[in-house]
Amino acid sequence: MAQDAIFADNLTYRYGNLVAVDHISFSVAKGEILGFLGPNGAGKTTTVKILTGQLKPKEGKATLLGMDVAHNIERVQAEIGVCFEETNLYQRMSALENLNLFARLFDVKPFDGYALLKRVGLAGREKDRVENYSKGMKQRLMVARSLVSQPQILFLDEPTAGLDPTSSEAIRNIILEERERGATIFLTTHDMMEADKLSDRVAFMNQGKIVALDTPDNLKQQYGKRALKARVSKKDGKLESREIDLDTPQTADAVQGLFKKEKVVTLHSEEATLEDIFIKITGRRLTE
Amino acid sequence: MNLGVIRALVAKDFALFFRNRFYAYISAIGVVFYLIIYFVMPSSVDEELDIGLYAPVLPPAFELIQEEEGFNIVPFDSDEALKEAVTDGTYYAGITLPADIMEKFASGEKPLVTLYFSTNALDELKGAVETMVRELAYLQTGQTLAIDISSEVLGPDMLGEQIPIRDRMRILLVIMLVMFEMMGLASLISEEVEQGTIRALLITPMSARELFTAKLVMGASLAFIQGILFMAIVGGLNHQPLITIIALLLGSALFTGTGFLIASLARDMLSSMGWGITALLIYAIPSFGIMFPGIITDWAKAIPSYYLADAMHQASNFNAGWGDNWANILILLGFNIVIIWGGIMALRRRFQ
Repeated sequence: MAQDAIFADNLTYRYGNLVAVDHISFSVAKGEILGFLGPNGAGKTTTVKILTGQLKPKEGKATLLGMDVAHNIERVQAEIGVCFEETNLYQRMSALENLNLFARLFDVKPFDGYALLKRVGLAGREKDRVENYSKGMKQRLMVARSLVSQPQILFLDEPTAGLDPTSSEAIRNIILEERERGATIFLTTHDMMEADKLSDRVAFMNQGKIVALDTPDNLKQQYGKRALKARVSKKDGKLESREIDLDTPQTADAVQGLFKKEKVVTLHSEEATLEDIFIKITGRRLTE
Repeated sequence: MNLGVIRALVAKDFALFFRNRFYAYISAIGVVFYLIIYFVMPSSVDEELDIGLYAPVLPPAFELIQEEEGFNIVPFDSDEALKEAVTDGTYYAGITLPADIMEKFASGEKPLVTLYFSTNALDELKGAVETMVRELAYLQTGQTLAIDISSEVLGPDMLGEQIPIRDRMRILLVIMLVMFEMMGLASLISEEVEQGTIRALLITPMSARELFTAKLVMGASLAFIQGILFMAIVGGLNHQPLITIIALLLGSALFTGTGFLIASLARDMLSSMGWGITALLIYAIPSFGIMFPGIITDWAKAIPSYYLADAMHQASNFNAGWGDNWANILILLGFNIVIIWGGIMALRRRFQ
């Protein structure tokens, strides 16, 4: 536990009778990217709110960098950066003014807001009011704001949701750069491709509970089906598909038989996606 | 408490306030507008008072009434017409002599003279009219207690002194001016809640206490600066300036606390305005009482702004010192504590 950046022990939160977070426990090591996956309403955002001190858990305890969040809220908040799902910037202020304000609140001295804006691709527009920015630019500014204090732990809630590919790629690169710097990243998303690409481990959350937590490779190995997919050409010229399970004792014979008996046009391996695994575990889609 | 954080938040709020065109214009135009209203109001009081007289029979001595200094006597044809004119405020006072006045004087009986006063008649006027009538009766009969007098106030009784209407009105004007800033603050806070920027602030190391202190400083200083500027220009600081300044400072804090309460209820600028105008109307009631003495009674003392209005009125219009105003200031301070505390609690709930 000593080296864990985030440690959640039996966290529970209820909105009235609705259990949003149901006795979840997990840890995130320093410098790790944890992808937190789940459909809308699974309890992801509530978990982030508890971890960042916005909500007090009804049961259980959250510890960040060895500090109990409930009792050291200001010290904890000095070490974290949060990028919210919804855009919550000061619209009538410029990008630079937004960043300078938060630098003063975090007591960051000296602070080079221009350099940070350049890093997220907003150089040249730093004095424009945020209300004149596109959605992608606002989202990049949100990410920049979460980096103002060079936090040890970064909470990113759907940072690329609804963005164009260029903006999404820019944000993914920043996430990887931050990990290089040594930051721990708690990435909440329901984009399984993004989670697969960026995360060291992923946690599946469903109905307030963590139903799986492991590396993407281990999850695919544990829950996914590996197969060979072939397209074969029939005598009449029509194409048909063939599938060979890679994890059975008969795999070698089946492959040999395929090439002996059929005219193979294409052949490729196929592995399960995180989406497939999530459906297999929960019976629900991530995008529900 | 980190002063750097508070300074940063106050600077941010001032910038956002003045970048909202509506509130920026209202703030700038408001001062000018209220100053214009003040200066177009009459600056002096008409010392010649119109008094109605209904006298079916006018005793010879009473003919001297026309020569009374400071009174302009206007004859009426009937008692009803006189009462109506006094009731609607056309005349401050009316005198009705009984038809049998001469017979009563002759038989040694005391005739009943009825005096009517309008709601805005001053105490001094009532005394002066009564004295005048008794003097005329004495002239007529040579006896000191020759008549019985019945005084009747038509409409609510009003107390007060001869102060130009604009000096009475300046209390209302300054309260309206300051309260508009309260609406701006409430709108600013509810906008922060609706746009989620408050969440972004609350996950920084800044404490909620620093956030509320910054809002209080911003709201109160914005209101206070405008209020004090207005009072200085219209001569409201010529007497007992310290009392007026302290009362205005407490009043600005009171309105800021009210702004917190409004922000905890309002969802956007429009609902801030709606709640704000409701609060403004309630808070303005005591100032109407200063403009028109007698129209409100003790129930107005339940309105916190009563003590602000009364303290400023007493100090700036009557040169009343601490001996007359300490209770106003203390009660205002008490209301401040309750309303600011309540506002902070309500806003905390909203933030969560």
